[in-house]
Amino acid sequence: MNQIKKTVKLLRRSPYQALAAALAMSLTFFVSSIFIILIIGGQIVLNYIEQRPEVIVFFKDEANQTEIDDLTEKVRSTGLTKEIKFVSKEEALAIYRERNKDDPLLLESVTADFLPRSIDISVNRAADIKQITDLAQASEHVDKVITPENLVEQLVKWTKTIRLGGLVFVSTLLSVSFLIIIMVIGMRIAIRREEVSIMSLVGATKWYIARPFFIEGALYGILGASISVFLIYVLLLFYSPQIQNFLGDIRVFPINPLFFLYLWAAEALAAALVGIIGAAIALYRYLKIR
Amino acid sequence: MLEFIAVSKQFPDGQVALDDINLKIEGSDFVFITGPSGAGKSTLLRLITKELVPSSGQVLFNEDDIAKIPENKLHILRRRIGTVFQDFKLLLSRTVFENVALSLEVLKRSDSEIEKEVSEALEKVGILEKADYFPAQLSGGEVQRTAIARAIVSKPEVLLADEPTGDLDPKTAEQVVELLEKINKEGTTVLMATHNSAIVNKFKKRVVHLKKGKIEKDQKEGKYEPD
Repeated sequence: MNQIKKTVKLLRRSPYQALAAALAMSLTFFVSSIFIILIIGGQIVLNYIEQRPEVIVFFKDEANQTEIDDLTEKVRSTGLTKEIKFVSKEEALAIYRERNKDDPLLLESVTADFLPRSIDISVNRAADIKQITDLAQASEHVDKVITPENLVEQLVKWTKTIRLGGLVFVSTLLSVSFLIIIMVIGMRIAIRREEVSIMSLVGATKWYIARPFFIEGALYGILGASISVFLIYVLLLFYSPQIQNFLGDIRVFPINPLFFLYLWAAEALAAALVGIIGAAIALYRYLKIR
Repeated sequence: MLEFIAVSKQFPDGQVALDDINLKIEGSDFVFITGPSGAGKSTLLRLITKELVPSSGQVLFNEDDIAKIPENKLHILRRRIGTVFQDFKLLLSRTVFENVALSLEVLKRSDSEIEKEVSEALEKVGILEKADYFPAQLSGGEVQRTAIARAIVSKPEVLLADEPTGDLDPKTAEQVVELLEKINKEGTTVLMATHNSAIVNKFKKRVVHLKKGKIEKDQKEGKYEPD
């Protein structure tokens, strides 16, 4: 504890270098947090879709009600469905209006005639989706069948892109943070060269001399990660209504506060490690004890 | 306690600082290492702390070859040797107390031990009342006393003083050497490099005179007459 107090005292003597190092770290971990949240969010959406085995069958305009009822009955008779709900053109318009109520331009141009009739089929098991889809697609009155597989495929593709982009972006920022830590600690060593030489001559061990620099590196990391998680918390709190609105039925808010605690712990640990490794490189490069 | 056996030191630029030095120093000795600038006085002291290693020969400390002490054990040797540097090497941003405490901090002493032992050392060198001053606020003699206090606070077996009176007026220089003599009488071996003949001649101690890296004279109660 005494050593941490001494390190903090040293940081206060040259606050601008300390600020630069901590801010570089916070930027790196802020961007990392965004990607982590996007990846976790993507996974939540994926799970939601996978847990709701639903098939939507859209009919051609020329299909009459008897033909629709026939297919509905055929699907029901398989015994694989939980619920089948018919959506008329008027109901489709009502749903469309509800979803686009904030955009009058989209509402003006659309009437019930534009929208297809459909049946929403809830399936008992996700494994049965294919059988229902095949059955619906075999009918000449069916225009299009939407299954969760299409959405899942699309989402997986997006998640992979986000992961790859995140990896590249975060790696670049991490390299910049490393270089800044090495530079700042290198400057500290240069400033304290005389002190280091005196300490060595009065019998300090190498570890005793190097320890404050390691603590300094770790402190930059922990400070940077803390700033990053705080910013993420504030942003999510501020934009939660908009995000929830975008996600519709998929409930993600309120986020469990433990999530932020775990995020902070993981990032602080990773950032401290970055700081310590950066300090080790700087010490190896610049600390010449005789 | 300290023994130089056929020690030579040549620097990479070819300059020979010490040439075939054979010297034995017993525990509790007080030795003046004299000679003009460039005679090899500082080099001889720096071989004892392993700031330098000999080109040939051996420097033994309690029969251990100093050059063979590994880097990770060097601090053990240095904790047994106190050093007063020619340029004091005090940290200007630390107070007198903090400068002296540095020697004990590296030994991981507790705060209460540091408080007690630093106060004792400052009292011994006569500057306890200046404990909270910064080096820039002290006179030359007080700066040198601070450096001595830092060197003796950890109670070393040997005290090396490299030109400790170099920038001091004669009276203050005499007081500083009196202080070193007092420390020596308490059992610490003292090696003092100097070219101050007045001091050497007044204190009548063993004198090892160096000239161009060689021992020219080694006298028990010697005198020093500059060339």
